[in-house]
Amino acid sequence: MERKIPLPILVLAILGFCYLLFPILVVVLAGLTTGEFLTFPPKGLSLRWVISFLNSEKYLSAFFFSFKLALMTMVVSTILGTAAALFLARSRFVGRAALRAFFLSPVVLPGVVVGFALYAFFITSGLGISRTIWGLWIGHILYSTPYVIGTVGASLATFDVSLEEAGRSLGASPLRAFHKITFPNITQGIQAGSIFAFIVSFGQFEVSLFLSAPNSEPLPIAMYNSLRYKFEPDAAAAGIFAITLVIASVLLTNRLVNIRRLMEPQED
Amino acid sequence: MARPKCFDAGDKGLMNTIAVRSNSLSQHQFKWLLVVPLVAFFMLFFVIPVGLLFATSFNPAKVGQVALISDLTFDNYIRFFSRSNYLMAAGRSIFLAGIVSVITLIVAYPMAYVIAKTENPARNTFLLILVLASMQLDMVIRLYGMMVILGDNGLINQILQAMGLTDDPVALMYNFRGVVFGLVQFALPFMILTLLGVIKGIPPSLEEAARSLGASRIKAFTRVTLPASMPGILSGSLLVFALSISSYIVPALMGGFRVGVLPIHIYQQVAQSARFQFGATIAVILFLISATAVVVYLKLGNRSSGGLA
Repeated sequence: MERKIPLPILVLAILGFCYLLFPILVVVLAGLTTGEFLTFPPKGLSLRWVISFLNSEKYLSAFFFSFKLALMTMVVSTILGTAAALFLARSRFVGRAALRAFFLSPVVLPGVVVGFALYAFFITSGLGISRTIWGLWIGHILYSTPYVIGTVGASLATFDVSLEEAGRSLGASPLRAFHKITFPNITQGIQAGSIFAFIVSFGQFEVSLFLSAPNSEPLPIAMYNSLRYKFEPDAAAAGIFAITLVIASVLLTNRLVNIRRLMEPQED
Repeated sequence: MARPKCFDAGDKGLMNTIAVRSNSLSQHQFKWLLVVPLVAFFMLFFVIPVGLLFATSFNPAKVGQVALISDLTFDNYIRFFSRSNYLMAAGRSIFLAGIVSVITLIVAYPMAYVIAKTENPARNTFLLILVLASMQLDMVIRLYGMMVILGDNGLINQILQAMGLTDDPVALMYNFRGVVFGLVQFALPFMILTLLGVIKGIPPSLEEAARSLGASRIKAFTRVTLPASMPGILSGSLLVFALSISSYIVPALMGGFRVGVLPIHIYQQVAQSARFQFGATIAVILFLISATAVVVYLKLGNRSSGGLA
């Protein structure tokens, strides 16, 4: 069937994929290079910088800080997002579409502005959590929950509600019908949503900018701070671990929910 | 989003009648409880902080002061709109985001078209995984790769010099051009996913009809498929506009602080000069530009990005 695609379009698409993927490949090569920096053609491959990353206080602690923050974010985003997705799918409330748009809006609104707003809010309100992991946590939940709502919403859309209604009509309580019928059917959607939440938090930069403290930074901020001045190959080695993590989670997501179906247009 | 089927079906089946009748009041209250925590979270940590930021922008400028006071003034806005420095930054941001939307569309369309027309499930999933994985990958890591490619000693300049095409390195980054390259890389997956939904929704029979009437493959594509994907083109461009005007990291790394767009000015005002009120003013202006694009995007009825974008 692929033969239907006109050749010029196919060529342009291949070039587009190179544009999208080549920078990522370059990071992997830069982290595995023998030399001090990546040259063309590459001098040779070694694990020198990977070992350097594993021994570096700066990047390794940033990596684990991000990992911890992402896990914390994942837990709260999954709970809040799944509950909200259930409401949005089941309620006949008129403002449903507007509420959904409101919950999804952080994804497209400027992270620097929201981060700054939270930073100022933490100071003026006297909460005392500006530039702590708790402040970062709140910012990250705001930006990760929309992905849970999207993914769980998609799996709820493909679930036939009449199954739950059948359970209810046979005398099951609403909670019992949900627990025994609906929940097992959307479990994988929830798991996929929580993976999304994890990875969005792990790679979050814009919101973290105003909220992170100099001594305990998430990985993207730590990499940014060094990248402003010079290229450190051990930063690229840290990148290799992050790339592996992202690829693994997308593959895992694909095992849980059919990615192709997730991308299909949804009825409103 | 997902309208429960029993409500659509109305009173068609006995099962539904029973089910609807058993929807007691307590169940409705139970449903509301599901959404209350997230609404509370968004109110406390999104609406109130952004609201306070709006309020701060109307406070008199005072270096180092974060706390709100009751004095109201338009001075910060007058300052913004009377200094060519800031007006140009706003213009530059809008121009940049516009250019990026157009280029991203041109690069993304063939990619989305190929993914949509790839019917082999394994190959289709593989392409989607590539797009999703690059979308989810930390932007700083992707920019590291871009910088290694585009820098003065970068791969492209090394190749150009090895081929004797240029003696001095070509400045591919730390300028406006570099920011455009970076933002297009950032925005591509979002545009692809938006276009993908629309292209998939176009019945293949339309293109086939054009072909059977004698149109060439290219002509069938430009006259039928391309115009039919207009809704996706519009909403994808608005989405990319909103995303790229908001980006701090790309202008910071690819522009080397030489391309003064609004997010860079916000950071400089706040983190370097401790001018919270004026920083808030720029932030409010950026927020409003971005929110306008998002609202128009939503009005167009985005059904295409699978709830992920």
